[in-house]
Amino acid sequence: MKFRRSASGLGEWLQSRTGFRGARHALLDEQLPPGTGWFFTLGSVLLALLGVQLLTGAFLTLYYAPTPDHAYDSIRFIVSTAPGRIVHGLHHYGSSFIVVAIVLHMLRVVAFGSYKPPREATWLSGLALFGLVLAFSLTGYLLPWDQRAYWATVVTINVAKLTPLAGELAAGVLRGGDSIGALTLTRWYAVHVIFLPALLILLVVLHVVLMRRHGISGPVRSRPGPMTPFYPWQAARDTAVVAVVLATMAAFAWNGAPPLEGRADPTDATYVPRPEWYFLGLFQLLKYFPGKWEVVGGMVVPGLAAAFLILLPWLDRGPERNPRKRPAVLLAVAIGMAGVVTLTTLGWRDSPRNREATAWTLREIGGRTLVQQTGCARCHSEEGLADSLEALTSSRGTEWLAGHVADPEMIAPGLREPPARRDEREVAAIVAYVHRLARQPYPAIPRETEVAGAIFARFCVGCHTIDADGGKDGPDLSAIGSKRDQDTLRRIITHPTSVNPDAEMPAFGKRLTPAELDAISRYLAARR
Amino acid sequence: MDRRRALALFVNTTVAFIGSALSAVLGAFALGPSRAWQSARWVRAGALTDLTPNVPVPRVLVISRQDGWYRERARETVFLVWDGDKSIHALSATCTHLGCQVRWDTDTTNFRCPCHGGVFDAQGHVVSGPPPRPLDRIEARLDPSGADVLVRL
Repeated sequence: MKFRRSASGLGEWLQSRTGFRGARHALLDEQLPPGTGWFFTLGSVLLALLGVQLLTGAFLTLYYAPTPDHAYDSIRFIVSTAPGRIVHGLHHYGSSFIVVAIVLHMLRVVAFGSYKPPREATWLSGLALFGLVLAFSLTGYLLPWDQRAYWATVVTINVAKLTPLAGELAAGVLRGGDSIGALTLTRWYAVHVIFLPALLILLVVLHVVLMRRHGISGPVRSRPGPMTPFYPWQAARDTAVVAVVLATMAAFAWNGAPPLEGRADPTDATYVPRPEWYFLGLFQLLKYFPGKWEVVGGMVVPGLAAAFLILLPWLDRGPERNPRKRPAVLLAVAIGMAGVVTLTTLGWRDSPRNREATAWTLREIGGRTLVQQTGCARCHSEEGLADSLEALTSSRGTEWLAGHVADPEMIAPGLREPPARRDEREVAAIVAYVHRLARQPYPAIPRETEVAGAIFARFCVGCHTIDADGGKDGPDLSAIGSKRDQDTLRRIITHPTSVNPDAEMPAFGKRLTPAELDAISRYLAARR
Repeated sequence: MDRRRALALFVNTTVAFIGSALSAVLGAFALGPSRAWQSARWVRAGALTDLTPNVPVPRVLVISRQDGWYRERARETVFLVWDGDKSIHALSATCTHLGCQVRWDTDTTNFRCPCHGGVFDAQGHVVSGPPPRPLDRIEARLDPSGADVLVRL
């Protein structure tokens, strides 16, 4: 009793000093028309998602370093702890959730004719917010500075070059320098964490103020009954949907964002760029307009779509809000959505998978055996002079690693016993293994495959390919088991001309032990 | 309980739950970079042949430390003290008073701090001056071959 009295006393005091009850009333007691239902929860969902995005983003800046030398390592550091993985995962999946929610929100507005007078300005501020979200996505995509980030940005900047008359200017403004590098990264970082969030907050406030000024549009046909306050009636619906959406997002984020790819490597000509999924449609569109027509796919079609959306309140005039009586607009939007979905699906199926996304290659697996034979663990262990291979946080380039593996004395002076000499192919396998290990823990792989992997990486990989990794002089061995049985394979490897007199492949009968011949032939025979 | 109050309770508890879950994750993220510092490791500090029994020999070691995502290269001076047989120990050269680097004075066989006149004996114990405690001892051992001195930094 006493507590309650003093609590209400505190409330009175706060009220007299701040007037907080007025603010609470203004925020929560908005009167809503009868029939306002579940369709009207999407705005709150977006508000919650944007809030989570702002918070997780602000906390990520505690550890992120926007320089080409450190960005990649700092993200790897962030995801090295469980809370970091979750925060990074929430921020990553948050962008996808926001895009989906914004599209659903817009579809609701279109279907209900909510953009009609007097709400045209609300609609336009919403469109601006959509553009802002896409700008967030583009700028944020570069920040991890991995291969995916770098090459997607190359495409973005090439699209910007299509801008009529000012293409080079636009690309230059986006790049900050002559090529994508340190200046691009700081620029996109600043835009992503300062300029865009400031604009976002302003526009969200404007959007909500405009929504409140005109009141929500409510159901298409107004229903009889009294107005109800937002809290707790509509607030309960909003909260329920927000809770389900955030729980789903947390489930996605629990194991973190998809793993980073290799550090950005501008010299890697083999990498196939792939944008975030919601840009796949646009990406696919570019493929249908090659050469000088590129501007049509990159600028004209998206520009027309944007113009249609901007002009929608003036194209669809008249007070009628019932979707059944506005077939033209609904049809146009349905065709547009069908186009987006089709292009996105096609883009999804067309984009070739990069090696990164798939399982460990045989060469990488073989590298592990070579690492063990080379004695890397003498120094690279928990108690050793250097970081264990699993814990190496710096991700050196291929050349440095190759030099270090070939001659550690050169890079880590003071090492007493030099490791066993390794030839070029073995070094390549070790480098492939270490690079892979830096991004992904070693999976459980049968010992037989590891032995075969080491043999393949030492002797076969120069001419033969397995799972898209290897040389092109000999046949691809990815499915050789469906053509040859183990016994034939063993004979071919031991003495190729005994099976095919014209074979150019050298004989390995003397270079491999009988056990190794068994292992590699058994492995190859099992590949179907 | 009427419907209005039940709904208000649902909204308030759900919002409070979401808020606390988010705060917990963000708080753990902000407070605990668990791999920010790595544990000490054995570093080669010199060859036994360079040492004289019972005379502290200074060694400047360059050690790389993991500072979050950054690999820092720090220089640290340690004194190696060998008893002429199997036993070896190492002392940090950092004065325990205000962090100046002490020097070995061969005439008085003492460590002397140039800043405020702190004096330590060969074992690192305070002889006179302001230092509040002995020089920090650093773990040291001979490597299995017996040729090299390793210290744990």
